[in-house]
Amino acid sequence: MSLIEYDVIIIGAGLAGLTAGSSLARQGFRVAIVTTGEPTACLSTGCVDLCSGLASPLENIRQLSSYHPFHFIDPELIRQTLNNFSEAVKEMGIPYVGSPDENRRILTALGTFKTTCLVPVTMQASANNVQEKIHIVTFRGLKDFYPSYIISRLKNASFSVYDAGVSTTMGIAANFEQEDFLEAFICWLGNIEISENKIAFPAVLGSESAAEISKKIEHQLGRPVFEIPTIPPSMPGRRLFNRLKNYFRKNKGFIYWNWPVVGVEKSGKLIEAVVTSSVGRPNSLNAKAFILASGSFVGGGLVATRDTILEKVFNLPVHIPGRREFWFEQNYFSVNHNIEKAGIEVDSSFRPVNCLWENVFVCGGILANTEILKNGCGNGLALCTGEAAAISCAEYLR
Amino acid sequence: MIKTDVIIIGGGATGCGIARDLALRGITHCLIEKGDFAAGATGACHGLLHSGGRYVVSDPIAAKECLDENLILRKIGEKCVEQTGGLFVRLPGDSKRFRDLFLRQCDDVGVPTEVISSSKALELVPNLNPEIEEAIKVPDCSIDPFRLCMLNMTTSLAKDNLVFTGHRVTEFIQSRGRCVGVKATDAATGEVREIYGNIIVNATGAWANLVAALAGTEVPITLSKGSLVITNHRLTNMVINRLRPPSDGDIIVPNEAVCVAGTTSLAAQSPEKINIEASEVDTIIGEAGRMIPHFQNTRIIRAFSGVRPLLKSQKTDSREISRGFQIIDHENGMYSIVGGKLTTFRLMAEKMVDIIMKSFNLRRECETAHKPLDGQEELSGYPLAKRLIDMKNIVCECELVSRQAVERVIKQTGTRHVGDIQHRTRLGMGPCQGGFCTFRALGIMQDLSVLSPEQSMQALHDFLQRRFRGIRYALWGDQLREEQLVEYIYLGILAMEKQP
Repeated sequence: MSLIEYDVIIIGAGLAGLTAGSSLARQGFRVAIVTTGEPTACLSTGCVDLCSGLASPLENIRQLSSYHPFHFIDPELIRQTLNNFSEAVKEMGIPYVGSPDENRRILTALGTFKTTCLVPVTMQASANNVQEKIHIVTFRGLKDFYPSYIISRLKNASFSVYDAGVSTTMGIAANFEQEDFLEAFICWLGNIEISENKIAFPAVLGSESAAEISKKIEHQLGRPVFEIPTIPPSMPGRRLFNRLKNYFRKNKGFIYWNWPVVGVEKSGKLIEAVVTSSVGRPNSLNAKAFILASGSFVGGGLVATRDTILEKVFNLPVHIPGRREFWFEQNYFSVNHNIEKAGIEVDSSFRPVNCLWENVFVCGGILANTEILKNGCGNGLALCTGEAAAISCAEYLR
Repeated sequence: MIKTDVIIIGGGATGCGIARDLALRGITHCLIEKGDFAAGATGACHGLLHSGGRYVVSDPIAAKECLDENLILRKIGEKCVEQTGGLFVRLPGDSKRFRDLFLRQCDDVGVPTEVISSSKALELVPNLNPEIEEAIKVPDCSIDPFRLCMLNMTTSLAKDNLVFTGHRVTEFIQSRGRCVGVKATDAATGEVREIYGNIIVNATGAWANLVAALAGTEVPITLSKGSLVITNHRLTNMVINRLRPPSDGDIIVPNEAVCVAGTTSLAAQSPEKINIEASEVDTIIGEAGRMIPHFQNTRIIRAFSGVRPLLKSQKTDSREISRGFQIIDHENGMYSIVGGKLTTFRLMAEKMVDIIMKSFNLRRECETAHKPLDGQEELSGYPLAKRLIDMKNIVCECELVSRQAVERVIKQTGTRHVGDIQHRTRLGMGPCQGGFCTFRALGIMQDLSVLSPEQSMQALHDFLQRRFRGIRYALWGDQLREEQLVEYIYLGILAMEKQP
């Protein structure tokens, strides 16, 4: 039994956990997040994919398989969640653009186009078709970005190389936060003859201040500038995570960082506490309700063994898509791998089905039947189910 | 049109060994391989240089051949053989009578043995199952099959013999009932080359019968599939064998930073499109786990399968069929060489070339048993000491391979295949299996203009599909987690499509 009792403890500090946390904290609940470390959001493009497909995201959602957890959420709530998100990130200094009525295409580091919904303002001007005339600026030795991949598809593109003194995404991004570096860079860029009408960069324009930095470059060169997301570590993903984390803290939420959950305390149909292994000794954190937002396999919420798939915090029943040999198809590029359906099945209040606990709610990538790759719904699903689980949780607490 | 003395079909250990032997005896030749070197059974085995121990009971003649070749290869191929030594371990319940028979047969064949107590064995290999009854030490070694093939080809290439990898033989050119040449199609461009030779050697292993059929003849082989798994740790510094009659999952071989364990033995219908059953993987892990308990919890990074060509006999259990080799004279200008083992590839090549010399009426003794393999200095891998010097700008974090090392290989070899960089530097051999670094290596190849952007997109695409074929069978635990991340990167962040 610990001395501090929270109203809600959330396991996982990804987009789902932070969204649920901020939502509850803003309503005045005492909320804590327990996390093992940085979430997979840091590895993402930072864009909010809602639902890809031919029609608008909201229409595409209507057509998803009937098992998809999106069907538990009213379209108006989806709209409201994205509005809340946009306001939060704007307040925190990284405005996003886009709406749930429209998908957009952004250029990737392979020269393909990724379908997404909301994007950080630094990707607003992204090329969205192969005809566009763009000039790519890259950095000497940058190991995660090769403009020639893009040029293989965008025949009207050209590139030039700047020596930033370092060769990693994070190193260059940190340099851009330095006034002198930025000035020297803009000066160099001003002397290059560029005939194309847009300028593209790998997403390294600052660790945190990308919106201001890209605006400054745009202003100096008099033409639109945009960032292309890179493979992890992804700056736009980190920027997004940091802003949402700070937003949660600003709303009086507390984060237990690097505190893996190793057990639970329970009584009857209620979970009373999670036991975490912090430095020195185990600690129990008590709460009236719990939200599980620990992610899928990559995030560590689900663990596959040779025989089964486990959820290790509450030991919830996991929907397992058949025996191991059926988890993956032969074709790598198929997005129909059955493993994408693994996860926790929930009812419309985002409580896990076939389980005893009345005060546990589940959201984000750990949910069953999301098929995130196939449906192009990663970060959007995290935000919306996070909000929906928070609403159910708040009702329960009242 | 190309004219040569001997056409070798197949770039496995046997074909490459024949090329070297011919080169040393001054015979011009041309080697045609449909994929890359060591792409068949050669590259899909343990990499165990047998001491002979495994065969002393079932096939003493094969055992003696292994022993002799083991000694030769250790001498001529210092840089691709790791002299690990091996142990045959006897677990509780394993037959003591087999152990006595084993020791007697080793003495007869001449395989040096030393019986050691379980505590002494645990000193040598601390990860061993502490419950073993005893162990018998033998001179097994670990060998790198890729490097072995490339080193054999060095001699051949230095004498300007032609090599066409990525070329499939699609037709035999016949004249008066004899095969006088082949047509080979370049898989990349579709270009067809006509190559004429006085003798054609079919050294295509499991494909031998398919190739022979093109020449209107046949090779009586059966196919046996053997599956293996790779761990991401080197759990043992010695080769570990189970002291019992050959069975599933009874060999573990250390190789660089990893271990390879196997095999299984199942009849196969075709040398291509082989699948691995989940039960095979479970069997290997279970059996290997009895010798090294840690195996049960160690991360498996990949499973793979090779198809052994075995000489046909009446027996139905393929493990009982002789692993000895055979040279078939089709009496139409073509020979097929089939069977055998990686360990005896040099001997097989010697016998084949002896026949070729005789038919050309030429006399020159075989030198391959004495001359060290050429090119060992350049191909001596990418040792840790060098990796640490190159530490700046690492492109493969799993195996510590730097951009400089990748550029060095590209410049030295002019290669257009990312596989060549992988075999020479170990790029992509670690836990992520090239998930991050292949994208980078192909980008570097574009920067150095050896590949066009279109070619490297295609190469990336092919690589990911090929890679998946191997890791698909080892997807649980951390490896599944890593794989999901790699999938999100390529299909999510980079929005890669089914076709480039």
